[in-house]
Amino acid sequence: MLKIPKIAIVDDDDGVRSSLASLLRSLGYEVCGYASALEFLDDKIADDPGCMITDIQMPGMSGDELQAELIARGRIFPMIFMTAFPNEATRNKVMAAGARAFLEKPVEADAITSCLELLPRD
Amino acid sequence: MSNSVYRLAAVLLALGIFLFDVLSPLEGAIAVLYVLVVLIAARTSRRADVLVAAAGAIVLTVLAYVISHGMESFGSPALRAAVSLAAIAIATALALQSQAATETLAAQARLLNLSHDMIFVRDIRGVITFWNDAAAEVYGWTAAEAIGRVADELLGTKYPADRAVVEAALLKSGRWEGILEHQTRTGARLVLDSRWAIQRDRHGNGVGVLETHTDITERQAAHAALVRSERRYRRMFDTSRIGVIEEDWSAVQAELANVAQEGTSIADHLAANPDFYMRARRLIRIVDVNAALLSMLSVDDRTQFLNTLDDVLGAADTTFPGALVAFARGDAFYEGETEMVSSDGKAVPVLFTITFPSSPDDGDKALVYVVDITDRKRAQDAIQQAQAELAHAARVATLGELTASIAHEVSQPLMAVVTNGEAGMRWLRRDPPELNEVEFALGRAVAEGRRASDIVKRIRAFLKKAPSHRDELALSALVEDAVALVQREIAKANIQLKIDLQPHLPNIRGDRIQLQQVLVNLMINAAHAMAGQDGARMQFITAAKTEVDDIEIIVQDTGPGIPNEHLQRLFEPFFTTKQDGMGMGLAICKTTIEAHGGRMTVESLPRQGATFRVTLPSVDASATA
Repeated sequence: MLKIPKIAIVDDDDGVRSSLASLLRSLGYEVCGYASALEFLDDKIADDPGCMITDIQMPGMSGDELQAELIARGRIFPMIFMTAFPNEATRNKVMAAGARAFLEKPVEADAITSCLELLPRD
Repeated sequence: MSNSVYRLAAVLLALGIFLFDVLSPLEGAIAVLYVLVVLIAARTSRRADVLVAAAGAIVLTVLAYVISHGMESFGSPALRAAVSLAAIAIATALALQSQAATETLAAQARLLNLSHDMIFVRDIRGVITFWNDAAAEVYGWTAAEAIGRVADELLGTKYPADRAVVEAALLKSGRWEGILEHQTRTGARLVLDSRWAIQRDRHGNGVGVLETHTDITERQAAHAALVRSERRYRRMFDTSRIGVIEEDWSAVQAELANVAQEGTSIADHLAANPDFYMRARRLIRIVDVNAALLSMLSVDDRTQFLNTLDDVLGAADTTFPGALVAFARGDAFYEGETEMVSSDGKAVPVLFTITFPSSPDDGDKALVYVVDITDRKRAQDAIQQAQAELAHAARVATLGELTASIAHEVSQPLMAVVTNGEAGMRWLRRDPPELNEVEFALGRAVAEGRRASDIVKRIRAFLKKAPSHRDELALSALVEDAVALVQREIAKANIQLKIDLQPHLPNIRGDRIQLQQVLVNLMINAAHAMAGQDGARMQFITAAKTEVDDIEIIVQDTGPGIPNEHLQRLFEPFFTTKQDGMGMGLAICKTTIEAHGGRMTVESLPRQGATFRVTLPSVDASATA
């Protein structure tokens, strides 16, 4: 039986986080929400998720900084970025570092699901 | 000795001779001695004294003869008496003649003494023989002190040329005139206008020289001061850093006089005859220019452009008609700012003042003082550009910040709404549907929707915020400031800007920066709309008072116009036709104007440009409202 990948959602906005969690759960994913990048980094219990969906603009540490930090720590897993204020520089930066997608808020549910369907299921 | 002493001596001598003649036993022509009486009397220099003495001597001689010899015999005593009488008569005649001659000389000397000029006579060796009162007074030596001295030694004469040359000229023509210097007894040096005349004897040999001297020390000093002053002005003219042009306006003056005679005002004449303006420019002749002006106009040689005003005044000059009117009115001066043309054809921005000749004594030349303000102008342009860039940057930054904040604030809840909706639908489609999850998702969707609408309300409230400043503003200044900010962009886009503000508009009240931004926005929009079009690129800004004392500002362009379907939505937030536009500019403009109690509307016909109307209450209107 295929293991359903666990999805981590990192967004400081409660509304976005909980709605996205609900959507992904409805699709059968196991979901874990984090209100900030640091909260995600500090979670020592969970294994690396099958995929991380994160906002760019967050207080404390931004999404792209989180990506850099994770890569620096050797924690490499699929990442999807969302932002309400997209710009080319950030897009290029995160995509070059291996991001799966760079999505503009409000994000269409289909865009997320199609990204997730491409995830490897082991 | 005084005359009375001579008279007394003559009388006593006469009595002595008489007594001796009568009483002495000597037989002889004693009466001849009366000649002495006559001569003594002559010393008084009075003709009457001589005559009285002569008469007395004759009477006494005859009386002595009668007493001594009676009337009978006419012998040798009578002969002696006759000889004596003859001697007396001759002496009298001679005395009278000599007295007349002396009298003439004295009269002449008195005349010379009357002169204010210093006059002296010297003999051929230079020894002074006559010295008039003026000489005594001015030089300080009396005639007695001066006579007998050598003139050049006494007066320390300094000649303009070699003394020998002066002497030669004198001998040749008998006269010499020139300027020389004498020293007075007190050591003061006098500058003198000197005239010499030679005095010759019967054989034509020079025996003396009459020298007449007029003191011109003060005149000379005044002249020297004048020369110095002229030199000073010349130096100012030549070395001043201010450019100076000397211009001859007489030809123009004549033309203007003709116009005045016809009874036309100069201003009317100028308006009716535009060619007169060009002709007048060529009628004004440049007489002289200084070095500063030459370098200002990059001219090497002064003679290169001693022509007419037309050669140096820029074609775009607008000050000359004003100068003509001021000149015709008799103003003392006229000043302004214009452009001159340098030898290489470059425009040189200048400030100038023309001083017109106020009376014929000043000559008929006008002097123009010119200051090159290229550097100032450049600095001003740089400041203006910096200001425009800053304003532009501020505009972009404000809009950018606003948009970023709106995008972030609004898109978060929107995303939550959409995602909750999607999630809800998916929970619903499950078999069996997870209704708890559906309810949860719908509840969150509603809450997030409200949150979004709250944010929009908050933004609108922010934009509608009343102007923070309520200053009384002059519309002309407001328009000028806004134009200054966009001038470069407008010029760069090759757009002709025409501004027509009704004079004496009442002030308006509001936030200067906000209102300025509205005008800037409208002007920039118009400039962008016209950029790249081939037809006329013109922009008009007009302002006038409405019937209800409001101020209506119209910003109009000759751009492509606004399509009808866009017109309705033009002021809606986020409506834009620009690729990179945020669609906030006009929305903010409208809310700004409305916050000032005004209205903003737009009209446009395709291909006929757009017209924005901004109506603001004036101070007058709000006072009566």
